[in-house]
Amino acid sequence: MSQETPAARNIPALLAALHAEKRSGAVLVSGTPGGVIHVRDGMVVGMETPGAPGVEVLLLKSHRITEDDWTAARATGTDPARLGLELVAQGLLGARELEVIGQAALFDAAFALALTSPDGWEMTAPRPLLDTGAAIPPDRLVTENTRRIRLLSNERGATARFARDRPDPAPAARDPQRTARLSPRHRTLLTAADGRRTPRDIAFTLGRGLFAVMLDLRDLLALGLLQSPSVTLAGRPSTAPRTPLSASTATPQPSATPLPRRKP
Amino acid sequence: MALLDTVLSTVGKTSGVTAAALLDGVTGLSYAEYGAPEPAQDAQEIAHLAVMHLNRAGFTGELESIVVTTAAHHHVTTRVDRQGDPLLLFALVDRDRTNITWALRDLAEHTDRLLS
Repeated sequence: MSQETPAARNIPALLAALHAEKRSGAVLVSGTPGGVIHVRDGMVVGMETPGAPGVEVLLLKSHRITEDDWTAARATGTDPARLGLELVAQGLLGARELEVIGQAALFDAAFALALTSPDGWEMTAPRPLLDTGAAIPPDRLVTENTRRIRLLSNERGATARFARDRPDPAPAARDPQRTARLSPRHRTLLTAADGRRTPRDIAFTLGRGLFAVMLDLRDLLALGLLQSPSVTLAGRPSTAPRTPLSASTATPQPSATPLPRRKP
Repeated sequence: MALLDTVLSTVGKTSGVTAAALLDGVTGLSYAEYGAPEPAQDAQEIAHLAVMHLNRAGFTGELESIVVTTAAHHHVTTRVDRQGDPLLLFALVDRDRTNITWALRDLAEHTDRLLS
């Protein structure tokens, strides 16, 4: 059910207005990637977007929770909102660990949404959300997103382009002496970055946050173990300056033999 | 109060600790804070730089802790292991109220219990 949406020029302004009015509901954000922002009493309590892994992906793909345990917890008929608490009650996950994962997923979704401009938004009644105990004031999301973009490139457009890149291993990545010094986290990432996956794809594959993956990819690029696709892209138009051909490759000069003449 | 804030309050009761923060070991995101831990904002970047430089020098293990000492404080950053990306427990320790050995021992106990 649609609710009255406060007039706002962008999502942060909308969330600030909802915070001031202590409103509750769900903000449906359209566009790419789009998503849902869950607001309770003016605080942001959750975000879901296809642009970044959510709580479920972080729990399952990182193998903190097995698929069987997850399915069993869901089969108990627990309210979806209390599924996290059910996992804690069953001793499968610590309550503090759930809170950490909930906050991490929320800030990561906010980062993914901040990389592009949305097509629009609409306020609706509250929607079901896996409750992790997170409750973040909107201004903190803005501050954190600014910090994240500064850390990666200091410019939103460049960060968004990096998020769409598909880095692949550089020749140095085949040198065991170079890779032996990497942390296990970086080594796993190096294996996952195969030139076909974007940072988002890698984040979903490994069950890690999008921003965390981008930071580690930046490290591997800086170490020369990964290369940006623009380095390896074949067949693109040459942008090299045009220079006269050298004498060895130039068109041969006419030989001393005169050209044949037509005789009337 | 969130559970993590409660845990940080307990850390704050440690002798000599005037501020504390629980940070993400990769992103630097602060999950919970006690007191006014402004120096924590740079703790993750300092830890990251230390690891990268140590790796370049041939070190292959995981970083356990970093202590930065100023005239008045010890800035203690301790790694909190967990499945997935690690966390960092940052504590600002008043040099006049405790010594670094006691502080490290107490913080190690907190680190072990942090996510239990």
